[in-house]
Amino acid sequence: MNNQGDTPAFSAGEVDLFGSAPQADPLAYYAPPAPHGDLYAQASPAIRKAWRDLAHGFSNQCQGDLSALQAYLDRHVEDLGLAFRVTGDEQERPWPLGPMPILIAAQEWENVTRGLIQRAELLERVIADLYGAQTLVRDGHLPAAVVSGSRDFARQMVGITPQGGRFMHTYAVDLARGPDGEWRVLSDRVRFPVGIGYAIQNRQALARATGGLLASVGARSHSGFFDALRRGIAGPCLRDDPRVALLTPGRFSQSYPEQAILARQLGFSLVEGRDLTVRDGRLFARTIAGLKRIDALWRWITTRDLDPLNFDARSRIGVPGLIAAAKQNLVLTNWPGAGVVESRAMPAFLPRLAKSMLGESLALPNAATWWCGGASERDFVLANLENLVVSSAFRRPVVGLVDGHTRAGASLSPQERETLERGMAMRPMDYTAQEIVNLSTTPALSGGHFEARGFTLRAFLARDENGEWSVLQGGFGRVSQSGELRTTLMGLGDISKDVCIIEPKRPPVPPAVLTPSLREIRREQGLLPSQAADNLFWLGRYSERAQHTARIVRVLVDQLAMSGADPAISTTVTRLGKLLANLGAIARPGKDTRLLDMAAQALDNPSASGSVRALIIREQRIAQILRDRLSRDSWRAVQRPMPTFTSGEADTIARACDQVIERHATLSWLMSDGMSRGPEWRFLNMGMSAERASMILQAAQAIIPGSASADDLSALLDLVDCQSLYRSRYLTMPYIARVYDMVLLEPAQPRGLAFQIGKMEKHLSAIPALRTDGMPEAPFHAVRQFRAKLEGADAGEIGTMTLEEWRKDLAKLCEAISERYFLQGKRANDVRTQRLF
Amino acid sequence: MRFRVRHISTLTYAAPVSRARFNLRLKPRPGTGQRMESESLTIAPKPSSSEEQSGPYWVTKTQIGFEAPIKKLQVTSEFVIDQAAIAPVEAGPSLERVRSEALDDTDLSDLAPAPYSFASRIATMSDEITAWATPLLAPGGDSVAAISALMRAIHTQFTYAPGKTNSRTPPQDAFTARHGVCQDFAHVMIMGLRAAGIPAAYVSGYLLTRPPPGKPKLVGADAMHAWVAAWCGRELGWIGFDPTNACLAGEDHIAIAMGRDYADVSPIDGTFIGNAPQSMASAVDVERLA
Repeated sequence: MNNQGDTPAFSAGEVDLFGSAPQADPLAYYAPPAPHGDLYAQASPAIRKAWRDLAHGFSNQCQGDLSALQAYLDRHVEDLGLAFRVTGDEQERPWPLGPMPILIAAQEWENVTRGLIQRAELLERVIADLYGAQTLVRDGHLPAAVVSGSRDFARQMVGITPQGGRFMHTYAVDLARGPDGEWRVLSDRVRFPVGIGYAIQNRQALARATGGLLASVGARSHSGFFDALRRGIAGPCLRDDPRVALLTPGRFSQSYPEQAILARQLGFSLVEGRDLTVRDGRLFARTIAGLKRIDALWRWITTRDLDPLNFDARSRIGVPGLIAAAKQNLVLTNWPGAGVVESRAMPAFLPRLAKSMLGESLALPNAATWWCGGASERDFVLANLENLVVSSAFRRPVVGLVDGHTRAGASLSPQERETLERGMAMRPMDYTAQEIVNLSTTPALSGGHFEARGFTLRAFLARDENGEWSVLQGGFGRVSQSGELRTTLMGLGDISKDVCIIEPKRPPVPPAVLTPSLREIRREQGLLPSQAADNLFWLGRYSERAQHTARIVRVLVDQLAMSGADPAISTTVTRLGKLLANLGAIARPGKDTRLLDMAAQALDNPSASGSVRALIIREQRIAQILRDRLSRDSWRAVQRPMPTFTSGEADTIARACDQVIERHATLSWLMSDGMSRGPEWRFLNMGMSAERASMILQAAQAIIPGSASADDLSALLDLVDCQSLYRSRYLTMPYIARVYDMVLLEPAQPRGLAFQIGKMEKHLSAIPALRTDGMPEAPFHAVRQFRAKLEGADAGEIGTMTLEEWRKDLAKLCEAISERYFLQGKRANDVRTQRLF
Repeated sequence: MRFRVRHISTLTYAAPVSRARFNLRLKPRPGTGQRMESESLTIAPKPSSSEEQSGPYWVTKTQIGFEAPIKKLQVTSEFVIDQAAIAPVEAGPSLERVRSEALDDTDLSDLAPAPYSFASRIATMSDEITAWATPLLAPGGDSVAAISALMRAIHTQFTYAPGKTNSRTPPQDAFTARHGVCQDFAHVMIMGLRAAGIPAAYVSGYLLTRPPPGKPKLVGADAMHAWVAAWCGRELGWIGFDPTNACLAGEDHIAIAMGRDYADVSPIDGTFIGNAPQSMASAVDVERLA
């Protein structure tokens, strides 16, 4: 089992600090099948010590049982809210992070860094030429089809220069390390540095789980990189202290979670296309305080979808006229069309382009690539197909490669090969071939022991305000048990890994704090887009509605115990059932609908839009859009799943209701405790108050149509959670006027209607006004009128008509809020549509 | 030969729409052998902004915007154009030569073959159309003859059926049903040609509404027409093929724009805020001048 004897890298003089017991040196029995190409086995003694210190530290942390480490780390991953989505998934998946990072010696990384920066510089020049003079094509250095074949070549952008002159501000590169320690570029990512947010979070999760362990072995911190990135994007803006936004395709985008992470980390506003508008060549965000100018936009939308007026007219996620703003002074990055250099054909030309454009050879070679559009290259590829992988040059579906997937030449059946050759004869320009890259291995924890796994690494680069590139000291590592490691960021069954650049002699530094450096201290919140305000308002409403519905179910179930006799004939049960039906939680109950069935339906029926389950799902969906605005703890509380119960069992149903109510209490506490008292908090709270007010009115209407029994009134007090207050105050059975006064009119009673309206009035008076004539804005006017009505009302004279009138007043108030703040004067059912005639 | 073209497009909305912005691609971009004598583009109501640009394909685009809400938009395009007679093409280089000359071409401009060599938004890659078209474009053949054969195959195998497809019907559906109008036929032909590595473009334009005595009225004369331009090697360049009428594009085919497919040359598209249903009417009149 001990292979130390036949591995030359293990020098005889090395002292084994931990002895040979596996718990002391968990790597003692690590036996990579090809030690020559393994990161640990061939590392220098100092780096190998870092590996072993780390493994030992892990082992200590879990009392020698390394198999417990994964579960421990998983909890930290979950805490961070890390998740990802595979195309086609509705729900996010938990993020698989392996505990043992990939350790790379700082010296080795310096060489990689030089190569990466050179490559970034080269690609920048290629892009600048393709959107400028186009001499590369005219002089025959780059075939025209290699450019026009890319779906990211944006002809509209030819002749336009970006504000600040840079086409790229960020850049990501997939790297492979060969068995001989040579690094190679597998692919370039110029459109979006997907994975950068995960790299941050992998490090955070690992650092949290292991305390100071990473720093103690000399891992370089990420600090500085994100600050440089932020300064680089803000740098070319014309205004001081510019407003920067990150444009997301929306929550169904595969990398939405990381876009939210990045926006939060960098202090950028996370916006969607419909938050933005272009007026007179300037970009604005629609915010609750009117239109606010945006100076720089980090776009995470493909060029095709970016501007329906100038690119694809069918895009519903873009911003019409965005290109007009980019022609003026908007900093837009990476520049639309920059992705043209991402094609799989481009690497075939980069070695020669490096010589002609930079006068140097590539310091970091890419995997050898042949573009079949050239006759001699095509002949070479066909003659050597067994030893190559064949790809679709522009990631389009092509004949012979199903869905454009890459295939190893050796894996093709004779028929498949014949089809491929036929396709290549017709459209040779659609194909590229690459050498097969062998990967060196890295120790990965599998169960309780280490195994050797092949790995790839995604490195990230960003420019600072002077245009200088910096490379993240780390990256996004990926190991896979088998199969293709190149196509996507994360496939099913892959494990992500933190990458640590190790400098053993360096004194340990405290863990980096990733706060963006602001030029000035601010107390004012950033801009709040109208859409985010809308979502916050509805998050509040759905959260409150779920809680109230659970409360109704709870009161309903309690009727069983309270009435004792046949609950089916009690008016309270009938009225509660009617209320649930009004709320859309259940179908209208029949004469013989069983109480417990009604309760179970209202809790759990996913097809009823008002059931607790459906409401929680809607709440969670909205929370996803607001991810960048919620604290980590609030996020976790929202994501807590719907509690389970057993149908027909009153006690489990009651417990599930209690859990929903507690979940809500936790959430509203976390939000009120953690959120700054800015407009975000106000809209969330207004949503809660509006919903609570609506629920109180609906409950009052359903339970007391003219003749309320004491049981009915008691149920209403329960619904509004005033039972104990009432009893301590009156010490008698409930009377209607007293209940009305407490539930509807008493301004100091925090569960009552008047209190909610008073709160909304306070919030509305504190939100920025658009009017400059000193007149109150419509929502404020509406809320004051409503409050005046409640103040003037007499509990003894409230009838069904009054309740109905107030309900309409509340609806009018909500409509006024929506018109003024959420849609910038557009009615709720008006949406922007693009048409192609 | 001189022609006068008058094309009125009327767009109506059931309710006013705000912040409307449109791309108009109605002004001709004259090609070789075409000379504009006069042209005008009249827009009612008057837009608050208007900008004319060329490209990104062989198109003249007028981008207009309205600050105030609109319920109706009327665009009148009128022009007089002088077209040189087109010499009939009998034979061309081999298909292989067309392919390799296209790949060797060092031009990215809007009349170069490279921009029209790949699948595009509407003219996507289709296995069925590839399988159907490529046998007609087998290696070794004369390019003009082979492309004409593909054009005639569409003309004989497809039914001209106005109303069965619209501007949003995927060409694949028209292919499966073997019916459609000029737009569908042009897309199917473009997809077939590109599958065989032949650069192919979508041409929009007009036909003579009232043919001279004794000559038949061509199909598609009462609205905008569309046909295909195929790149037939460095020497011949782009040649127009009209699959709807099974003929080469002659001097009666008045081209105004060329793109990868309909989306690049669509006469009007745009964005607005509102959800009002819209309808569009179009009237075309083309006469031959002395």
